[in-house]
Amino acid sequence: MKYAAKRILLLLITMILVSFLAFLAFEIVAGDPAQTMLGTEATPERLEAVRQELGLDRPFIVRYFSWLTGFFSGNLGVSYNYKQPVWQLIAPKVENTLWVCFISFILICIISIPLGIWSYNWTNKIWDFFRTAFNQLCMAVPPFFTGILLSWVFGIVLKFFMPGRFPDLHKDFAGALRHMFFAAVCLSIPRIAMTIRMMRSTVIGEMEKAYVRTAISRGNDRKGVLVGHVLKNSLVPVVTFLGQTMAEIIGGSIVVEQVFGIPGLGRFLVASISNRDYPVVQAIVVILAFWVVIAGTVADLVNQAIDPRLRLGGSK
Amino acid sequence: MRIKRNGYLTAGLILTGIIVLMIIIGMFWTPYSPLTMSAKEKLQAPSLRHLMGTDNFGRDIFSRVLKGAGTTLTIAAATILIGSVCGTIVGALTGYFGGVVDDVLMRFNDALTAFPSILLALLVISLVGPGNKYNVILALGIVFIPSYARITRTAFASLRDANYITSARLMGASNARILLVHLLPNTVRILLPALTIGFNNAVLAEASMSFLGIGVTPPDASLGYMLSEAQGMFAAAPWYSICSGLVIILLVFGVGLIGEGLQRGEREVE
Repeated sequence: MKYAAKRILLLLITMILVSFLAFLAFEIVAGDPAQTMLGTEATPERLEAVRQELGLDRPFIVRYFSWLTGFFSGNLGVSYNYKQPVWQLIAPKVENTLWVCFISFILICIISIPLGIWSYNWTNKIWDFFRTAFNQLCMAVPPFFTGILLSWVFGIVLKFFMPGRFPDLHKDFAGALRHMFFAAVCLSIPRIAMTIRMMRSTVIGEMEKAYVRTAISRGNDRKGVLVGHVLKNSLVPVVTFLGQTMAEIIGGSIVVEQVFGIPGLGRFLVASISNRDYPVVQAIVVILAFWVVIAGTVADLVNQAIDPRLRLGGSK
Repeated sequence: MRIKRNGYLTAGLILTGIIVLMIIIGMFWTPYSPLTMSAKEKLQAPSLRHLMGTDNFGRDIFSRVLKGAGTTLTIAAATILIGSVCGTIVGALTGYFGGVVDDVLMRFNDALTAFPSILLALLVISLVGPGNKYNVILALGIVFIPSYARITRTAFASLRDANYITSARLMGASNARILLVHLLPNTVRILLPALTIGFNNAVLAEASMSFLGIGVTPPDASLGYMLSEAQGMFAAAPWYSICSGLVIILLVFGVGLIGEGLQRGEREVE
């Protein structure tokens, strides 16, 4: 429990640090929001009025904390471009991005963990060369390229989904899920390759340890040792790696949402960057960053449950 | 540093060599001008005349891909140059001297490396302004500094108290000499594979950003931008998407093989 409490405290500190940096960065670069909103109609009196309305006359730290609490109360300011509250614009998109990330994470776990263990058996030199080369090839495929190919094959030719026309998640759940499944596949391919590679080298490293030799010399067969002992011991680095994978999935979702026309956070982020709609960019960057940090914390907590040594403060 | 030759290294070097050579030639000479349009030769399939076909303006795709790959290669190279040089300096100084600065900087670094590189790059690009080649290099360069700083810091910190460093210090070598002459060459073996991984991340990150339309924009077309252009005409000219995508894949694949070869060769020598 002590470990978990410490880890959660660290999470909160990181979240505050991250959001502070984002706030500071935009504070320096974005200029005066009142000026941006009024544009050419700005007169000193109106500027002053808008500033007071937006609360810009308050000190920097006060504004930062009221913005930070906005993530919990839903008050994140007003978009320059749409003149609507940022939270209202973002809320429906959060769900779509969450689903894409969730599906690809599941895909990565169910495909790469068994394959990673199984690929341990491929010790033949020539097969190993082809396996490694194929692995490297998969890592080299950019998700947006697979996205273009898949949306043509499964969208235009086979008509499994309509590229560019994303059904409402609440009205046509199955249709939306089918659409997102292909996006998730594109996102997962390079990550699956990386996870298999990582899994394999962990298992190989673990198989060389003394306890494996002992177990085998006591009459266990290799397969039993692999599944019964080695798998559990290889899990800790793999869970940490999967936590980092979550971060990469969130980054990658920005791109595949664009290819498949899924109205998620990433797509909105890109549009807002082009429009220089800073309140929206700021909010989305911080939300995505929060997910990443939370994923890392969850991975650590899971590891702590798997490996009791970590609970005693040992580092591994 | 000695590395045993192996299949991965050879295959990677040959593949990357061919592609980079073609790209470098493409920087100075292309079979057609990448911008010349020709109404007569619209949407032609690959042929001997146009190796990768033409697009809907009748522009030669092979020439466009060569030019685009040139932009991608330049940006990726400049990015890892900024990232690795700045990162090595930060990592070397903090790792060697340690202290409070080291602690603070590394906590900060931990927070940064936890983020997907594309998200950080997008944040930086939205601050410096999208659409310009130099801003993309700046954004990606900054994003790559923390990971190199972390790698070199670990190497420098672990060697700091090695016996040969202590004896160098006893013989009166200055800190600058120890850092440059005694420590730096010993980190090359860690830095080289990291450079190949960084290069690949830079290529993919640049391509993603340009694909999204906030990286490099015309007239400086890069492979990522060309893919987003090609997506719209996939049904009419699938060769456009496939060829520009394949060039990215082959470039990253080749460098990935080199990285694999370096790591394995290193292990075999040990």
